[in-house]
Amino acid sequence: MDREGPPLESLTRRLAETPEDFLAEPKCGKAGRIIVPAVVGDLLDLLGSDGGRENLGRFAGKDAADQRRLSVTLLFCWLLADASFRGTNPSSEIVLTLLDATAAELAGQAAPAKLLRDPDRREEMVRLALARLGYRPAGETAAQAQDRLSSISSSERARVVQAARAAEERARAVREALARKAAEESADKWTRE
Amino acid sequence: MDTRMIDPEQTDEDRYPTLSVEGRRMLEFLREHPHAPIFRNESGNRLSAGDIERVRAFEQETRTAQVGWKPGVPPEWIWSFVEKCVAEVPWYRRYDPLPAAFEDLPVISRADLSRDVAQFVPDTVSVERLVNYRTSGTTGHPLLLASDPVVSASYLAFHKRALRRLGIELQYGRGLVGVVLLGWQRKCFTYVSVTPTMDESGLAKLNLHPDDWRAPEDRASYLEALAPEVIAGDPLSFSVLLDLNVGLQPRALFSTSMALLPGLRERLESRFGCPVLDFYSMNEAGPIAVADPSAGGHVLLQHRLYVEILDPEGKPVRPGERGEVTLTGGFNFCLPLVRYRTGDQASLDLSGREPVLVGLQGRPPVRFRTKAGEWLNNIEVTHVLGKFAIAQYALYQAADGALQMKICGPRGDITEIRKALLALFGPEQALEIVTTGWVDEKWIQYTSDLPGAQP
Repeated sequence: MDREGPPLESLTRRLAETPEDFLAEPKCGKAGRIIVPAVVGDLLDLLGSDGGRENLGRFAGKDAADQRRLSVTLLFCWLLADASFRGTNPSSEIVLTLLDATAAELAGQAAPAKLLRDPDRREEMVRLALARLGYRPAGETAAQAQDRLSSISSSERARVVQAARAAEERARAVREALARKAAEESADKWTRE
Repeated sequence: MDTRMIDPEQTDEDRYPTLSVEGRRMLEFLREHPHAPIFRNESGNRLSAGDIERVRAFEQETRTAQVGWKPGVPPEWIWSFVEKCVAEVPWYRRYDPLPAAFEDLPVISRADLSRDVAQFVPDTVSVERLVNYRTSGTTGHPLLLASDPVVSASYLAFHKRALRRLGIELQYGRGLVGVVLLGWQRKCFTYVSVTPTMDESGLAKLNLHPDDWRAPEDRASYLEALAPEVIAGDPLSFSVLLDLNVGLQPRALFSTSMALLPGLRERLESRFGCPVLDFYSMNEAGPIAVADPSAGGHVLLQHRLYVEILDPEGKPVRPGERGEVTLTGGFNFCLPLVRYRTGDQASLDLSGREPVLVGLQGRPPVRFRTKAGEWLNNIEVTHVLGKFAIAQYALYQAADGALQMKICGPRGDITEIRKALLALFGPEQALEIVTTGWVDEKWIQYTSDLPGAQP
């Protein structure tokens, strides 16, 4: 979150005003009509992201189980198509992770319609998108942005907890490795301090 | 059961993965010589064939690399190094976003490493390969430091660079002993090994304390049988070596761990007919510099180590001023340092071809008060005592101004030492000189209970 992004309110309003095409059913198998891989590809072009086009298959819905996730993907696509992100050249890997994994997490917590209706959910979506792309909302410090995101987003809280757990697990492994007899034997040096 | 807790016994294959028939013969020679000491431990180079290539490439890089930067301008590599630290090292993640100026980055100290060294080990480092080094706790912060066999083996690159400054290239290889490391401690880590990058020349880490030998006279016989190209030690073990009736012709002596006084250095050079390289080295960063009286101090050796001199508030001092030696970078990829305050004091001279640490002192400064009430920097005491061949000393000033000087390893010149100190402090100065005989611990060189002694 080391870069200042657009104001939060302009993006939450944009989400609240999502046009019908982005609220329509994504194509999953024979159902639905919006071809999400094409929308995602257009978004990458708009953003100026290199690569990633070969990984759009994950946005091709196979059955009804994919529908909620892809509906959230479409909402993120609309959000990131905002003029403030155009030509900013974000990493395609980061963008695709947001559109795929983060969208799946949110879809598991609430229906897409609720994400748009509930102001807190809209704020959560906007803050998640900004954070993943390395931005903080205009007028906020990185610490304020992280605090607000953690308090409003259950998936962010889960991510923070998981990251902390992984870090502690790694630190424990390092401490244990250093305490091993083999580590105590050290290795040859031509001088010792 | 957690399989990570299992710690299988190490074998020779683990300790010497590329050992040849000749290398094994060298190990047998070192271990089974009739005058060999009682080796207390086992260790090895732990280098695979790939590691050996890596160490050789690093030696080549170090051989030709330029060391230095313009005053006040960090070297070009510094930001990519810091960014990598922020991306990979738990402790440094908190530095994100990075400040615009390098000098605005936080400093770290021994206390930070001591609290939990795991926070300083990059996520990319394999825990399977970790080795540790422990350092003494004279500052109240004993350290357990993370390292890797490749890092340990890479020390030699800097030793060779320092030797090359004197026109010396190491030559001993297969069938010969490259280095003997000497200690003088009641309890000392001792073992034998071979150095793969030197065609498996022998390495023996020995303790000169008589308790480690079947007979005290075995020490000289064994050293003569090994006839090493290099002898490494510290002023304590070298002083013991001087007392042995031993005929050796090493090509160089490496001194580390403690300040080496010019008097002792001259005695060693004259006795063994070779240069003594006094390294400024620490477990946290390896060999940082080597003393060169003609350069006016300790010449920096590492091309990827940025050295700053900071004031007590952590701000860079003006060029030429004394302050705390602070390190960024280094070759220990298990423990990358960003603005690590060493606790050592010096000024930095960047005016010559090589950067030089001037007036290096291994501890925070202590002021001593003369009988006339004048404050003296401890470095003046160091200068006065430099001509004596003392292995180790400690000077303490009590709250009433009285001085106590402890000297390890009597050299028969106590009267001269007294005369030199009284010339500095005044003839009326209360001064007690205590000689302790040999000790196996590192003393804090300068201490005082006098108010105002810490500038």
